[in-house]
Amino acid sequence: MIRYIARRVGQGLLALFALESLTFFLVRALPGNPFLGERKLPEHVLAQLNSLYGLDAGMGEQFWRYWKAILLHGDFGPSLVREGVQVSEIIAQAFPVSLELGCLAMLLAIVAGIPVGMLAAWRRNTRTDALLMFCAVAGICIPSFVLAPVLGITLGAHVPGLSVAGWDNPLCVLLPAVALGAVNAAYVARLTRAGMVEALSSDFVRTARAKGAGPGRILWVHALRIGLLPAVSYLGPAFAALITGSFVVESCFQVPGLGLHFVNATTDRDYFLIQGLVFCYGVLIVAANLAVDICQAWLNPRLRS
Amino acid sequence: MNSAAPKLHGHSLLQDALQRLLRNRVAVYSAVFLALMALACFVLPLFACIPNPNLTDLDHIAAASSLKHWLGTDHLGRDMLARVLYGGRISLLVGLLATAVAVAVGVTYGMISGYVGGRTDAVMMRIVDVLFALPFIVVVVVLSLSIEDPCRQITASVVQLTGWSHDAVAPILGLLPVFLAIGALGWLTLARIVRTQTFVLREQEFVLAARSLGLSHFTILFRHIAPNLLGPVIVYTTLAVPGIILTESTLSFIGLGVKAPNSSWGTLIKEGADRMEVAPELLIYPAAFFCLTLLALNSLGDGLRDAFDPRSVKD
Repeated sequence: MIRYIARRVGQGLLALFALESLTFFLVRALPGNPFLGERKLPEHVLAQLNSLYGLDAGMGEQFWRYWKAILLHGDFGPSLVREGVQVSEIIAQAFPVSLELGCLAMLLAIVAGIPVGMLAAWRRNTRTDALLMFCAVAGICIPSFVLAPVLGITLGAHVPGLSVAGWDNPLCVLLPAVALGAVNAAYVARLTRAGMVEALSSDFVRTARAKGAGPGRILWVHALRIGLLPAVSYLGPAFAALITGSFVVESCFQVPGLGLHFVNATTDRDYFLIQGLVFCYGVLIVAANLAVDICQAWLNPRLRS
Repeated sequence: MNSAAPKLHGHSLLQDALQRLLRNRVAVYSAVFLALMALACFVLPLFACIPNPNLTDLDHIAAASSLKHWLGTDHLGRDMLARVLYGGRISLLVGLLATAVAVAVGVTYGMISGYVGGRTDAVMMRIVDVLFALPFIVVVVVLSLSIEDPCRQITASVVQLTGWSHDAVAPILGLLPVFLAIGALGWLTLARIVRTQTFVLREQEFVLAARSLGLSHFTILFRHIAPNLLGPVIVYTTLAVPGIILTESTLSFIGLGVKAPNSSWGTLIKEGADRMEVAPELLIYPAAFFCLTLLALNSLGDGLRDAFDPRSVKD
């Protein structure tokens, strides 16, 4: 098991390196540069800026310097667009916001999705099942950019405590979390149902039944372990994506999270910021996939060998 | 089975699946709905009853539904029905074209990876893993930004070569960055599915038989293995279209996708959301068309999956 985890960590680090290197060259291949503002800068100012940020060196040299700074000093460099601000400062400021929002959305997806999926599987091919699964498909089909404004105008504007936009009181997180979590809850419900249906018709459940286990025990103890596998493998990467923020939801509700930076940094050609953000995201994705693997081995004894 | 029967009618896998699909009422309704929606978006605007979506009727600004404007008009006096239908045209077109790109790339990549196997397979699948770990939004933004200039040049040269007017060519070619960018990432899941499937297929006897007949790898891959992949590919494609339409709309919502004066459902929903307090129906109409289409696509995809999955016969 330890060897297995060590190998997966190694693969993850390699993937992270490849990811970050790919991003490095991808963003530099973009047309334009970070210093294109409203005013066109004179040639010598541009040259000065390029040399200040080390962008005048060769690609290989820049690449080497970038990795050296990260590995030796944990330094992601300065933002090229917001003067005098470090990339790490931007991330440290925005990440807690997205983390809070993402965790709540994730909680919602789990708390709403898994029981719904279990109930639908338990009452398979009945009206309850059909109704629940119709709601789940409908949930997938109402994207966050429709749900967010509708929630804002119907609940946010009228229910006291909730707000249409902003991030200034503790209840602010509720509506964006619902907008973000609803789609995921729908996916989780569908995956849980599929997994549970499969598990409930498998041999080991029949054995358990033959040995006299009650329906409650079969559902919660025997089938649930295996039935959760598809939902777990979805939830890992989804969690990484949720806590790094969503551009749509954050811009609809004016939440100062990470999601906005992903798009703005790219359109602004803020090379160092994009790289820092992708690095964060990559670390989370790799960690989430690792967590999924470990979770699955724990849930499914057949995977442990 | 009656052995005295003079003629036995075999059923191919596809026929079986089609029969099962036709018995699924939800899937059939969805297919009918989608056909009607496609007709409405692509054929209806050809008739005079639908005005030009960019035409401003200054006598009826922000009007409610009426005989002249079935779904009313927006704040500039543009007919909402026309806007929604033309928007649907773009959304459906981008959805289909981008899916075609994604399917072509994904199937080829997955087949090669699964068929060759060994170290090539390992490397190809690690590449997919890395691309999977890239934040989707960053890739799409980077791609659509970097394809923009080449696309403009292509438009210019097409205009020069064919002599067509710029206004006729630009809207269609202007969509190129959007669907290339979406298609370029949409193939990842399909590549994984196809690769696993090919991996199983290449060990089967019929591949061995084909090989011992001396057929080339190319023939084996495309004539013998590819048809067996049809089921999963059809199912995945149907389920991918709504996802891709959603991505296009998200991009347009953000302001990176379809550019004015073109509009897709995403841009319409964005405009509706901005003016929601004043005129909620500007959000409701495009959102309803959009969500219902996605719902039908997903239901059809689910129906297809059940029809193609032999295990579903059991239930």
